[in-house]
Amino acid sequence: MPVDNPPATPSAASAARPSPSGRPKFYLTNEFGLLVLIIGFALLFSLFSKNFLSPFNMFALGRVAAVNAMVGFAMMVVIVTGGLNLAVGAIGVCGAMFCGWLLEQVGVPWPIAIVLALAFGAALGWINGFAVVKSGLHSFIITLATMSIFFGAMVFLTRAESFRGLPPVFSAFGTARFFGMLSPLLIVAAVVGLLLSIMYRYTVVGREMLAAGAKPEAAAFSGVPVGRVFIYCHMLSGSLAALTAMLVMARNGAAIPSMAGQLGQDWLLPAFLGPVLGGTLLAGGRASPLGTFLGAILVTMLTNGLLLLRVGEFWVQACLGLLLLLAVLIDKARRSYLAHLRVA
Amino acid sequence: MSFSRKLTLAAAAAMLTLGTAYASDTQVALVPGGPHPYFAAWEQAGKDAAKDFGLAAADYKVPQKWELSQQNELLESLLTQGYNAFLIFPGDPVGSVSTATELTSAGAPVIALAGCLKDPSPAAFCLGTDTGNSAYIGTQHLIKAMGDGKKRIAHFTGFLVDPNTQLRIDAVEKAAKEGGAEVVQVIADIDAPEPAEEKINAYLAAHAGEVDGIITTAWVPAVVASNALRKIGDKRIKMVGIDHDEVVLKAIKDGYVDGTMLQNPYGQGYIGSFAADKLRTGCKVKADAPFKSNALTTKFIDSGTVFVDAAEVDTYVTAMQGITKDLFATFQATYLDCP
Repeated sequence: MPVDNPPATPSAASAARPSPSGRPKFYLTNEFGLLVLIIGFALLFSLFSKNFLSPFNMFALGRVAAVNAMVGFAMMVVIVTGGLNLAVGAIGVCGAMFCGWLLEQVGVPWPIAIVLALAFGAALGWINGFAVVKSGLHSFIITLATMSIFFGAMVFLTRAESFRGLPPVFSAFGTARFFGMLSPLLIVAAVVGLLLSIMYRYTVVGREMLAAGAKPEAAAFSGVPVGRVFIYCHMLSGSLAALTAMLVMARNGAAIPSMAGQLGQDWLLPAFLGPVLGGTLLAGGRASPLGTFLGAILVTMLTNGLLLLRVGEFWVQACLGLLLLLAVLIDKARRSYLAHLRVA
Repeated sequence: MSFSRKLTLAAAAAMLTLGTAYASDTQVALVPGGPHPYFAAWEQAGKDAAKDFGLAAADYKVPQKWELSQQNELLESLLTQGYNAFLIFPGDPVGSVSTATELTSAGAPVIALAGCLKDPSPAAFCLGTDTGNSAYIGTQHLIKAMGDGKKRIAHFTGFLVDPNTQLRIDAVEKAAKEGGAEVVQVIADIDAPEPAEEKINAYLAAHAGEVDGIITTAWVPAVVASNALRKIGDKRIKMVGIDHDEVVLKAIKDGYVDGTMLQNPYGQGYIGSFAADKLRTGCKVKADAPFKSNALTTKFIDSGTVFVDAAEVDTYVTAMQGITKDLFATFQATYLDCP
């Protein structure tokens, strides 16, 4: 669900002209364009690759897309402020390792361990937010530093050892299939996206986040506690990163230090792709959980389809980039065409 | 046509029929954790195995990056494409168990290759280098090369998140202690060109005079340290490397490096492909197979390691082939129960 903010260009303004209900018509939105592209590529891959629509592939694709979407959400909630969270992977891994430690070493029941791990993620997010607000530095710098600090401390404390004594419920959740093809991880990501949409549209704190991100000075004049709101955004990002890590834990059946790569950097690309493709403005002030979700699905599907087409492994990245560029250009052409039709 | 000629023809026809019947539908995927020169030998090993054992395929498939998630995605897509046997260098010894379980659940045998999965895992066994033993033997050779006098060793090794790294650090420490040497510096997390160049060169620039020997237990640090010693031009510092990169081999020939600990990636890929096909076509792992143990698994088979110095550097391929030949000659009888 897109959360509205005035579009920047005249054509986009025309394209996103509100319907009588006050919202842009869905077929004019970025999200609709992504949906069309997803359907189009799904048809293409099902025609030209073997077993693309097989239940196992749909299940595997959904599971990867779920993680990509969740990482995208964790980044999106900070991009809303006009900032970035490069520590999203490091926080996620720290949250997972904390959860693994609670489960394996302390013996905490799994529901409580999950809640505490989410709170731990929020606490690390608070450190980021507090440092950004108090120092006045861009979150890029702060989170670049905390990425190393969080990850380094985690490796030091755990000696890079994994926690694999997780309750069976984790693995069962990660490998469960509904109707033979739907991963519960994808359902979690969809629910989180829905909750974020509701937060931004219907809650005071959500609207304050958008307002503070769009024009901090104006928001401050109108009584929004901008600094506090920015900290909330980072805390939310930390919690979402930790939740993402819980999903990866369920998928891997263990909490492992390398689950998001060195310094958690493996999550950075999907963290940006989902929100940016989904229409979240890097300048802040606009969030699109639905767009982020669809963007993650598109990217995951492109990767999956290219692998099934047996495009050489080392060409996948280049082809992925080309297809993404093509997708964005097609969507831009679609919006320009629709805008032209409405103006003409 | 004489009887004997008829018999010969009949036998030839029967052989042909049997050969056709034997042609396996096994499609093996050899999947490393990511791009790394160590695994390059797997490609030819797979091709040779497919040809020699009549496999439908034995293809080398590399994830684009060293990411567990990318390896998992690649493995899932390979299963979807019809590959039905997997030789995997685990992206993570623990994190890859879940994917391996899914592959074996789909009827595809999994063998951990070059690196092990942590027990319990569905891998039939792990075929790889005994990394701790390799580091231990390498350090012993280094201490011998240093001769009398001070024996201060610097150890350059791989990523900290790789559990093999700690095994190597411990093994070097143990050998040093036994040989009256001192490990004055361990630099880890450098099995990639950029960090290896930065950290090794900086360390040697500042502390070359305080070090008498260098042991490297990962491919990239071995290459970078060999180059660094060549640049310094001082052959006082002794060094033992690892693997068979051309840079290291040339440095051995030129006297800048004293030797290298060879591993056996070709043999891993070749014998692994053979074993994967056997497991797919009815063979079982022997209950009383003489597996070794390491920190990760109790079903470990050492694919062999050998020290090569200047005297043997030109014939190192023969040394590697010898290891493979010896292991393969007794492999089926030793580890498999076939109907």
